[in-house]
Amino acid sequence: MGKNLPGYFGEFGGRYSPEILTEALEELESTYQKLKKSKKFKKELEYYLKNYVGRPSPLTYAERLTKLWGGARIWLKREDLNHTGAHKINNAIGQALIARFMGKKRIIAETGAGQHGLATATVGAMFGMETVVYMGAVDVERQNLNAKKIEMLGAKILPVTAGEATLKEATSEAMRDWALNVSTTHYIVGSAIGPHPFPTIVRDFQDFIGSEARAEFKKRNKKLPNAIVACVGGGSNSIGMFHAFLKDKQVAIYGAEAGGLGPKPGEHSATLTYGKTGFLHGTKTLIIQDEFGQIVPAHSVSAGLDYPGVGPEHAHLSQTGRVEYRMVTDEQALDSFLEVTRVEGIIPALETAHAFHVARDVAKDLGKKKDLIICLSGRGDKDVTEVLRLLGERK
Amino acid sequence: MSKIKSLFESGSFKSAFIPYFTLGDPNYHDSIEFGKTILDNGADILELGIPFSDPVADGPVIQRAAARSLKNRFSFDEIFRVTKAIHDHKPETPLVYLTYFNPIYHCGITKFLDRAKESGIVGLVIPDLPFDTEESETLFRELKVRDMDLIHLVTPASEKKRIQALSKTSSGFIYYVTSFGVTGERREFSVDLKERIKFLKDTIRLPICAGFGISTPEQANQISQYADGIIIGSAIQRVIEENGSDKTKTVTALADYISKIRASIS
Ligand SMILES: Cc1ncc(COP(=O)(O)O)c(C=O)c1O
Repeated sequence: MGKNLPGYFGEFGGRYSPEILTEALEELESTYQKLKKSKKFKKELEYYLKNYVGRPSPLTYAERLTKLWGGARIWLKREDLNHTGAHKINNAIGQALIARFMGKKRIIAETGAGQHGLATATVGAMFGMETVVYMGAVDVERQNLNAKKIEMLGAKILPVTAGEATLKEATSEAMRDWALNVSTTHYIVGSAIGPHPFPTIVRDFQDFIGSEARAEFKKRNKKLPNAIVACVGGGSNSIGMFHAFLKDKQVAIYGAEAGGLGPKPGEHSATLTYGKTGFLHGTKTLIIQDEFGQIVPAHSVSAGLDYPGVGPEHAHLSQTGRVEYRMVTDEQALDSFLEVTRVEGIIPALETAHAFHVARDVAKDLGKKKDLIICLSGRGDKDVTEVLRLLGERK
Repeated sequence: MSKIKSLFESGSFKSAFIPYFTLGDPNYHDSIEFGKTILDNGADILELGIPFSDPVADGPVIQRAAARSLKNRFSFDEIFRVTKAIHDHKPETPLVYLTYFNPIYHCGITKFLDRAKESGIVGLVIPDLPFDTEESETLFRELKVRDMDLIHLVTPASEKKRIQALSKTSSGFIYYVTSFGVTGERREFSVDLKERIKFLKDTIRLPICAGFGISTPEQANQISQYADGIIIGSAIQRVIEENGSDKTKTVTALADYISKIRASIS
């Protein structure tokens, strides 16, 4: 497994999926290895990222937040300005190109917040591929705008009602679809999770975030930032942000995960804080589970973080201590959402709002004349209805 | 020699009948009765499902069974107690567990195996643990020490090289997945089923048992012409789903279904 691509990150990762998927995973791995070296593929990917997605995304200096928080200078890596409004499109385009190269005419995806479903439906429309999106029935409700957009783009949404009817169940259902249709279909996994080679492929397609941010920051400031922060659901925007900085030991790296309502099992999605080593959805990673190895349902105010597992590379980075992962509660995320909206004129995704909360503390600790970059993973249009509902409850 | 190996070598049947059901659906007490009924009516090997919250290789019927089972308080003590009661009813019939790897890993491999063996289990089927992982090698070694088997799945998509490599860490029998997808009843099987099973027989020196999608006596009869065994899960679980709240009715329906299948492959 993985002669050139790493199948494992320390003890985490690997391929623990049903045998029926093995050939497809091997085909994907060898195709990707080939394409990775191909100039033509690189050019094609860069063409779409530049002319369709709108990359490179800008690095915005957040003057008002910097003043308000009174600590380090705050910079925002603006993935919210990408077409479809989040980082998910980077990976969806990359994988759709691989699928096309492999001759697969149908693409499927799982989605929580709907951003990955939207990205997949978008590339499905653009490349003319039949697209099916699995989405938990609960998420279809709370992220209804995205669900509607996905359908408008011509993709089919299949709401999943099993279990908690959120991202975990949508992922299981997408894996089952793939097992049935593996010869005609590519499963565009939406985060840096799943069996090898997905965590590596997704990370590589999101690596643009960190590489661009690093290069631009360096160009403008003639140095590296002191810290970077990103939110962690499955971990794709964060690994994309972190990867280019991992070797820069002077850059402190922070991940923000969903602390939900509190520390009780079932009330949070804080995998890196409370998870234990286990096997879920094809990978060995940290998972929120009970004393018998049954997966405990996750909770988060943001559908995109509501998952009881995490990408294996994050499990490894947490174990080695290279990245510090902190929890942010639903309430704190909601406060940050409102704060950023009013102070910077940017409505962030609820997922991203978690990163802002951690960033505020880090900025204060760093103090003045230091620099911090936040990955603004997506915009919050999709969350407006849900936030209004939550604010109503607060009163 | 493992119990499964000697069973197949005894030649006491043309094709083995290997039924499956999930423990704890609708409750652990009734599971004992269901197990006894299935054994009494003609199981050659019985597969007991340990429920898992995220059974990605299973179709809706078995998914729902696991969900119903997990509404009861899950515990390994309960699983092993029920297993032992089923085993004691007919100790000569080999029992195997079908479950996902996470619960086993979490319990601890050696602890799990010791207790499983004490309860009468002689083999494991783990759909999300491919043979080419360190964990599978460890498991295989620990099973061998205990004279237990690791039953691997082979699918219509498995390539020859992989099948050859897989034979090094598999024992008991091969679980040949008859069709693409997940467990569940099907009307049709892949066209080259017969050829694939023949090919497997030539490649691996283990009995080849076919499962995924078989439900009717006619299908069982047809496939038993060339497979060493017939595995049926979803169709049995459906009988439990449809009658489960009424234990007496379920037992009657199970007895009827199991004996029909056994007769169809004799
Ligand atoms: C805007 C946004 N940020 C973050 C996430 C979390 O996912 P990941 O951790 O893979 O970046 C999502 C998921 O849907 C999202 O939509």
